[in-house]
Amino acid sequence: MRFTDFTSYDLVLLAQGLATTIGLFLATSLIGLAIGALWAVIRFYRVPVLTQLVAFLAEILKNSPVLVQLFLVFFGFPAFFKVNVTPVEAAVITLSANTAAFVYVIGVSAIESIAREQVEAARVFGLTRWQVLRHVIAPQAAAFSVGPLVALLVNQLQVTSLISVIGVVDLTKIGNILNLRTLKPFIVWSVVGLLYYLAAKLVATLGARFEDRLRAHSAFRGL
Amino acid sequence: MRFDLTILAPHIGFLAEGALLTVQACILSLIGSVILGMLVAIARTSAAGWVRRLAFVYVDLFRNIPFIVQLFFFYYGLPEIGIYIDAFTTGVIALSIAGGAYASDVIRSGILAIDNGILEAAEVSGLSKRKTFTRIVLPIALRTSVRPLGSVLINMILTSSILSTITLNELTGSAKIVASDTFRPFEIYVVLLVVYAALTWLVSLGIGLLHRRLNRDMLEPVG
Repeated sequence: MRFTDFTSYDLVLLAQGLATTIGLFLATSLIGLAIGALWAVIRFYRVPVLTQLVAFLAEILKNSPVLVQLFLVFFGFPAFFKVNVTPVEAAVITLSANTAAFVYVIGVSAIESIAREQVEAARVFGLTRWQVLRHVIAPQAAAFSVGPLVALLVNQLQVTSLISVIGVVDLTKIGNILNLRTLKPFIVWSVVGLLYYLAAKLVATLGARFEDRLRAHSAFRGL
Repeated sequence: MRFDLTILAPHIGFLAEGALLTVQACILSLIGSVILGMLVAIARTSAAGWVRRLAFVYVDLFRNIPFIVQLFFFYYGLPEIGIYIDAFTTGVIALSIAGGAYASDVIRSGILAIDNGILEAAEVSGLSKRKTFTRIVLPIALRTSVRPLGSVLINMILTSSILSTITLNELTGSAKIVASDTFRPFEIYVVLLVVYAALTWLVSLGIGLLHRRLNRDMLEPVG
């Protein structure tokens, strides 16, 4: 008996891979959003040493390949710090940090997009720096950054495919497994590509809908 | 364990060879993707609807499918249809096609940004449609899109690290070999992060200079 044909079980495998991809994507996006926003706030407060550190870290993370970052965490950390890092842990750490770096950049430009006079006016009214951030800057900055953030998320979804290289069984890894077993690369990689494409479109569509909702109040209502 | 960079000294030559391969692959892919991007940009601004739609499908697909999936598609798929080429050529082709999707978007917006008055002036001067395009539209579009094309190149440098997954020993691939030779993955990957960051920084510096030089007549005089 030959095992080179596609079976119905392969669909389950693909679904599992897709679930791993999407699960890790959601988890790392949320962690990345939180950390990136925190970094942007650190910059807003101009905390002495931390601001420079965060800026440097974000610059390095933005300007180096995710694959090398993955290797550093997965192969480098265990050798240097004598800790155990599983593939999934390495993937979560790397992808979260990478997302955070880009969220930081978006957050900083969103904060800077708000006119200086608004901040000054709020300060004159006696608001503390935290209140200014909370009630004046954050709502506008959030609305400003939804578009870039959606584009970032669509991109980060594709970046998750790299974790297959360190052995996380995500959609790409499943594609690899099926490819090696069936030796039908065109079919396997087309299906895997299509699934990624659909997932990316889903993220983009949801993001666009969310953006429309946020913009609804400023849309022209007619006379 | 101590952070000791001296153990890398004997491997610098080997790493430099890998870096050279990365640079070669990136330059070839940049040329390929700008040519492809120009053709697709022409198609996307064409008057015929179906040409526009076809070009859009290409751009949409290759931007929303992870590069590693595209790479495996070509690497495992091409031999299937009787095309046997080495990993380097496959990598350059895949990078060109993926980069072409991004480059076409950049060049297209360069074309769309051209003032209608310039086109009317060309028409009145009796230039044929072809002449107008090759002598007037393309030079202006390429000149104004130097900076965004530079970020396509930077992205390409980072993406080229993925070529190490198809047995191509470019910078990341050779670093992987050195890491398993020396058992010092932490040092080597930290160095690699810095090297990639420095490389992209240098490229963006060069692009800035090139942009200023090409657009020098459009700069406002100082003072």
